[in-house]
Amino acid sequence: MKSPMKKWFPIFLAVVCTLILGAPAVQANADFSGEQITWIIPFKVGGGSDVWSRLYAPFFKKYLPGNPIVAVKNMPGGGSITGGNHFAQRVRKADGLTVFGSSGSTSFPYLLGNSKVKYDFSKYHIVFASPTGGVAYINPKLGVKSAADLKGLEDELAYASQGATSLDIVPLLAFDMLGLNVKAIFGYKGRGSGRVAFEQGEVNIDYQTTTAYIKNVRPLVDQGVAVPLMTWGVLDDAGKIVRDPVEPDLPCFPEVYEMVHGKKPSGQAWNAWKAFMVAGFGVQKAMWLPEKTNPEIVTAYRDAAAKVVADAEFQEIVKKSLGGYTQLPGEQARKAFEQVLSVSAEDKAWVLNWIKEKYDVEVK
Amino acid sequence: MEAFLQSLTVLLTPSHLLLLVAGVLLGLCVGILPGLGGIVGMTILLPVIYGMDPHNAFALLIGMVAVIPTSDTFPSVMMGIPGSSASQATIMDGYPLARKGEAARALGSAFTASLIGGLIGAAVLTLIIPIARPLVLAFGSPELFMLAVLGMSMVGVLSGNQPIKGIIGAGIGLMLGAMGDAPAVTEYRYTFGIDYLMDGVSLVIVGLGLFAFPEIIDLLIKGRPISEKAELGKGWLDGVKDTIRHKFIVLRCSIIGVVIGFIPGLGGSVVDWIAYGHVIQTSKDRERFGKGDIRGVIAPESANNAKEGGGLIPTFLFGIPGSGSMAVFLGGLLILGIQPGPSMVTENVDLLYTAIWSLALANIVGAGMALILSKPITKLTVVPFNYLAPFMILIITFACYQATYSWGDLIALLLMGILGWLMKQFGWPRPAALIGFVLAGNLEQYLFISVQRYGMGWLARPGVIVMAVIIVASLSASIVYQRKLQSAGETVKETVKE
Repeated sequence: MKSPMKKWFPIFLAVVCTLILGAPAVQANADFSGEQITWIIPFKVGGGSDVWSRLYAPFFKKYLPGNPIVAVKNMPGGGSITGGNHFAQRVRKADGLTVFGSSGSTSFPYLLGNSKVKYDFSKYHIVFASPTGGVAYINPKLGVKSAADLKGLEDELAYASQGATSLDIVPLLAFDMLGLNVKAIFGYKGRGSGRVAFEQGEVNIDYQTTTAYIKNVRPLVDQGVAVPLMTWGVLDDAGKIVRDPVEPDLPCFPEVYEMVHGKKPSGQAWNAWKAFMVAGFGVQKAMWLPEKTNPEIVTAYRDAAAKVVADAEFQEIVKKSLGGYTQLPGEQARKAFEQVLSVSAEDKAWVLNWIKEKYDVEVK
Repeated sequence: MEAFLQSLTVLLTPSHLLLLVAGVLLGLCVGILPGLGGIVGMTILLPVIYGMDPHNAFALLIGMVAVIPTSDTFPSVMMGIPGSSASQATIMDGYPLARKGEAARALGSAFTASLIGGLIGAAVLTLIIPIARPLVLAFGSPELFMLAVLGMSMVGVLSGNQPIKGIIGAGIGLMLGAMGDAPAVTEYRYTFGIDYLMDGVSLVIVGLGLFAFPEIIDLLIKGRPISEKAELGKGWLDGVKDTIRHKFIVLRCSIIGVVIGFIPGLGGSVVDWIAYGHVIQTSKDRERFGKGDIRGVIAPESANNAKEGGGLIPTFLFGIPGSGSMAVFLGGLLILGIQPGPSMVTENVDLLYTAIWSLALANIVGAGMALILSKPITKLTVVPFNYLAPFMILIITFACYQATYSWGDLIALLLMGILGWLMKQFGWPRPAALIGFVLAGNLEQYLFISVQRYGMGWLARPGVIVMAVIIVASLSASIVYQRKLQSAGETVKETVKE
């Protein structure tokens, strides 16, 4: 929301900066002196992506050439499609003064081919990406002590879901691939209410992002009312999914798959799961520059992102508020996002069909 | 206990007090402006708290959010326009009082009720913390559904002897609330291919459209000041005395406020209506409700301040915000590097106590300031409305534009305004429509989850049965007092018409 404070403060700061810096001494290729950068966040104020952008914004001001003000502009609606389409259709300048922040909820409808989506990530320039992780856990009353006991578990499990086309594709498909009989109960709003439903006994299998897991589910594990099963894993440099460094004692999903089926995961289900896992967790949030941005501006942004990530003060913030995951600047982010962009048409069709068969939901 | 007192000494240091007062001042301003509420206030403060010490940030944030239900009474009482969604029910009797020239009395009693309600909220919050987790966990989806039904049952009281119109009005509200993306399936409803409607219509727009717009039009047509008498009648001190006389209403409604506040998912937007409905149901003499009964002001005002204390519990302990402003507050916590969760009552208990003390202090400071302000502000009711109208229209349009920042907001306001004006003209109870609108999402979501999860078995849960008994009892209490209810209904209808 645009408050008077937010409106005038940047202008005030801009004036002060101009006065202090005077005429720029060096004429760099990319120089944002006295400029204001608008960072479109397609979600409400106070949500996860909003907090993420506000944590990053002052550091981009610090490291972008010319120290421009970086102002977050919230443009919520349509589960982030509204903001994404605005970026795709209205932001065409090459000056790098408007950037976009995407999240898993922005990438999923893009991957699923939702007809309302007008944005195309293959055209834009990624500046950096922030990964997150997920931890699945189960009610101990089912007799499960660890992921190894999942094999042959026949009880009907209940999972609190936000919808068959939401980020829940990752847990639901994972459970399905493990042969678990999980009933998705739709209508919950957010992982927080899913966790409460687990504590109430309304559902008996759930997952949380790692940060929420550590604060809210570990105490339940200590009390013996929750058993952690697995993490979704993280992408390593070679593009493989490996154990989550934040919860290294838990196996990651591919390991659990091997425990249950006796072989490494492969095939269309696995390809699809991996693409959605990377889009929803591995590079969950990312900053984008529009298609026609000047190459030197893209470079300036990516250099700034690398400096932000290396900043000691910022690393503290990563530890405290961003789950402690290694942030991916520039090239690393681009490489990781390749995994999302390179999903084949057949694999996408497979997922759409799976959603249709299993939940009777068609993506329009 | 040590942490409890230590938090107080920290809060009483000058820098904290200053921030608290700054928060209170902002909260008072945001509350007075119609349509702007906690979400806007939180949004203004969010960039400011970046890098602040959590105790300081809490003083500022909670100072702001605590007093919005205090100052939003001004427009509700004086102009019949909801200052924020928390004070909609205050209009029912507060506005008729202002028209009789008793605005000062209504405000005096509202602020006293707000003050006491806020303090009771903070006190209950302190006592409830050890048992808060199991208490919140007792409300599963079936119980939440029944709570929403209880909210809907208030439609009966609020539509008086016009039950058919009340039910249809509530139905209109439910349909309005069903617009946009469905809560449990991947479908969009009533969007007519318009992107704006994908997220439904915002509560601010419906509230201002139904209540503010018709009032402004009618006042303009009459071309007179709001108060029908030139003099301002009884003073605020009489209002204070009124509230003290009805101390049990204050106590009951404060408890209703805290309970509804801490149950996540129901949202605070109906708490004022539930309190208002409750006070009518439990009163033997109902003739004056809707005509300017001071009890109709006291009930919602004590409940809406108490609600804020309750609302902190699910936000802190579970990370699930109960209202829009708490959702932004949760974002603020994350910016400060605080992960909500069970550790809030163990390792971060000092922060929790800072929050409680801030809440209590802010209520005292806020009610005091509002009382001082009330004297000059009530004079507005004797100013010819033609001078006020352009200003009010500007603010209302501005507030509605905050919903999504698009043209759709203004068009939606106009349409809602026309609907509200028609309902007023033909004596359809607008509160019924509003309650239907607010509860539509909850009713559908929780029923859907209950049936998916338990089949028909959810009906047999003890919590559901208890709640059903309460609903039946409150409805039959209304019917027992039928005769008296009818006269109350007439007055409600009259207000609706006037």
